[in-house]
Amino acid sequence: MRIGRRDFLKLAAAAAAAGRLAPAALAALKEVLAGREAPRVIWLQGAGCDGCAVSLLNSIHYATADELLLNTLDVKFQSNVMAAAGDLAVNAAEAARVQPGYILIVEGAIPVGADGRYCRLWTGTSMQAGLQSYAANAAFIVALGTCACYGGVSAGAPNPTTARGVGQLLGNDSRLINVPGCPAHPDWLVGTLTYLLTHQQLPPIDAHRRPLEFFGRRVHDQCYKRHKLCGTTPLADRLGEEGCLEYLGCKGKKTYSDCPLRRWNSGGQGKYGVNWCVGARGPCLGCVNPNFPDGMSPFYVYSPTP
Amino acid sequence: MPTTITIDPLTRIEGHLDIEVTVDRVRGQQQVVSARSGGSMFRGFEMILIGRDPRDAGPYTQRICGVCPAPHAMAACLTLDHAFGVTPPENGRILRNLVLGANFIDSHLLHFYHLSVLDYVNTAGLLDRAPWVPRYSAPDMVGGATAQTLVSHYVTALHMRRKAHQMGALFGGKLPHVGSFVVGGCTETVTSEKIAEFRSLLSEIRDFITNVYVPDAQLLGELFAAYYNLGRGHGNLLAFGGFDLNASGSSQFFPAGRYTAGAAGSFDPAQIVEQVTSSWYTDACGNRHPSQGLTEPDADKPAAYTWCKAPRYANLPHELGPLARMWVKNAYNRGISAMDRIVARALECRLLADAMNQWLDELLPGAPTYTPSAVPSQAAAAGLTEAPRGGLGHWIEVSNGLISRYQVVTPSAWNASPRDQLNQMGPIEAALIGLPIADLNQPVEVLRVVHSFDPCMACAVHLLRPGQRPGEQRVQVRVGSSTRRLLCAASERR
Repeated sequence: MRIGRRDFLKLAAAAAAAGRLAPAALAALKEVLAGREAPRVIWLQGAGCDGCAVSLLNSIHYATADELLLNTLDVKFQSNVMAAAGDLAVNAAEAARVQPGYILIVEGAIPVGADGRYCRLWTGTSMQAGLQSYAANAAFIVALGTCACYGGVSAGAPNPTTARGVGQLLGNDSRLINVPGCPAHPDWLVGTLTYLLTHQQLPPIDAHRRPLEFFGRRVHDQCYKRHKLCGTTPLADRLGEEGCLEYLGCKGKKTYSDCPLRRWNSGGQGKYGVNWCVGARGPCLGCVNPNFPDGMSPFYVYSPTP
Repeated sequence: MPTTITIDPLTRIEGHLDIEVTVDRVRGQQQVVSARSGGSMFRGFEMILIGRDPRDAGPYTQRICGVCPAPHAMAACLTLDHAFGVTPPENGRILRNLVLGANFIDSHLLHFYHLSVLDYVNTAGLLDRAPWVPRYSAPDMVGGATAQTLVSHYVTALHMRRKAHQMGALFGGKLPHVGSFVVGGCTETVTSEKIAEFRSLLSEIRDFITNVYVPDAQLLGELFAAYYNLGRGHGNLLAFGGFDLNASGSSQFFPAGRYTAGAAGSFDPAQIVEQVTSSWYTDACGNRHPSQGLTEPDADKPAAYTWCKAPRYANLPHELGPLARMWVKNAYNRGISAMDRIVARALECRLLADAMNQWLDELLPGAPTYTPSAVPSQAAAAGLTEAPRGGLGHWIEVSNGLISRYQVVTPSAWNASPRDQLNQMGPIEAALIGLPIADLNQPVEVLRVVHSFDPCMACAVHLLRPGQRPGEQRVQVRVGSSTRRLLCAASERR
């Protein structure tokens, strides 16, 4: 049942062989993991759906969820999986908070309306107050999912709870990295955490503070359904047809992510996923974008082929 | 001397839940004499939907919940099918059922092994690090070889539930939040390769359900037999019906029905009302059918203690979920209790997984999965189905081709509901009354009973908006003593 640290390193080597972790990074990771305690993580959930946490449980390409939880990370507070509840859980979070240097993962948006009362972490602590307090001692802050990054669906107009992304509340904090997506792909989080742990600094990021490794290329340019990839791939006239979905609402031209290549719900170590939205002939919703959902909807349109 | 303990956050659920129980000595035994269930997060989803394209309801409502997105996609698509007057082809109906089924299996495995089992198992020496420490160590927790087995199954189940998502993604595009469900069917197509891939994963998962999950649930029942007599609650069960087996939905794998005050009954959606006596909404929002619902948040409402409303059937609280479904289906009738919920959930999982294997045979490779349709100018419709946690309903009104009203009533809203206008407790609250508590500092009994319902609080707390002119949003938010009225033209947003 138990997977030792040595096994994890073997798996990391497999990931490196798959071309995603540079050998130098892998060596650094070995050093990091051999030389110190497992990195501490505090995971707070605001106004969201817990879908990013569930998505992380689907992790396998770099490492599986049990490897991450049992061997790699020291997850001091994560409401979905932790054994403790109530005061016992809150005390664990508070004890971890007073020791600086942890990675703070924030999932869900932060409602600031009604003095933060639209979402509380526990009695007496709103998500808004909790974020400020837990950000103070964090070495890195990972905003996980589009809600935490930019407000996302929780901040959809008319934004009834005045929901905000982490960056909107903390400003241009040099410790902050955004890993958006609705939900975030597990590889995007695990890959980002690996970089943070091995380099002790943020990976190269874009203007929206997203890691370029995952969000550096346009969906349409990597999509095998795009119009001009070859002469035989037509534009789809209606949903369910083979072809480029540009005129049916697909946001692939406005969206930067590696979904077309990485795909979703991988079945094995080092393997990419079995499907993705456009792979299933549904339009890309542009869910990793800072202006998702309002700037990306309507998601479906019946526009005639030009 | 009564003592009140608050468990906030109540962890190992989806979303934000707090439970407050008052414990006192009754006939020499320390037990719960009063209970309150509170939802502590509110987003206002249905308000966000106003003025949007009706076809966007699926992508939006899925994002109510990352644990049960497919049921929301299903409910939204059924609602839109009815509103648009379109019937999906057989392949489309079956694909939706298969993806929904994959989400059921994922959710049930996650619930038993990752959300529930830690309430019963002493993991000392097995899981000696965060997030499994700190932990409770009640004397009745099972240890030794049994604990070792259950913890090893905890790890295996992580992989099995991942494979359930992988299976669902074959036809759903991805999970969580499927990309292929649309009004009129499903955009993904059927190939013999995909059927074979699905069946291969399902076969492995069915093996785990039959040979590991069901026996583990039954073993838990033997080891903690007292819980067959604890956590009963009101004893009223309600199923909306789900997994349509034909195009009209006249035949369903889980039939609709109820069991009220000891007698079987039929289900009439018109009998659903929502109450807000104990909820942070103005009194005008109470006593309404979901199709006519109204919500104005009032964060300062005296005596209110939750963002969750109180749905009732014929004014009576009812419990929704696998036990209710299995009871109505005549597939389980041992009793109503915390342990019956756990065992019925496992048996339901096996029954459903077996049926999914047959549904795969009904798929026709290459045949259509989607029927095109046009957005109606005006429409009103409902879509009722079953989610892992129980019956789920969506209601829509379309005006001038845009959503003018949208309402979602989730199973956890029923189960985690607060007291209503008749001062009747919600099902979870009622199930806690009389529960013996051995150690006030380790209220594992409360966790066991609450977890038996598998509450999903991001789902439970929702909001609908007042009737209004299309294109105009009217949101009343009370902050302190001042009332702000926000008017927002849809045209400015789009």
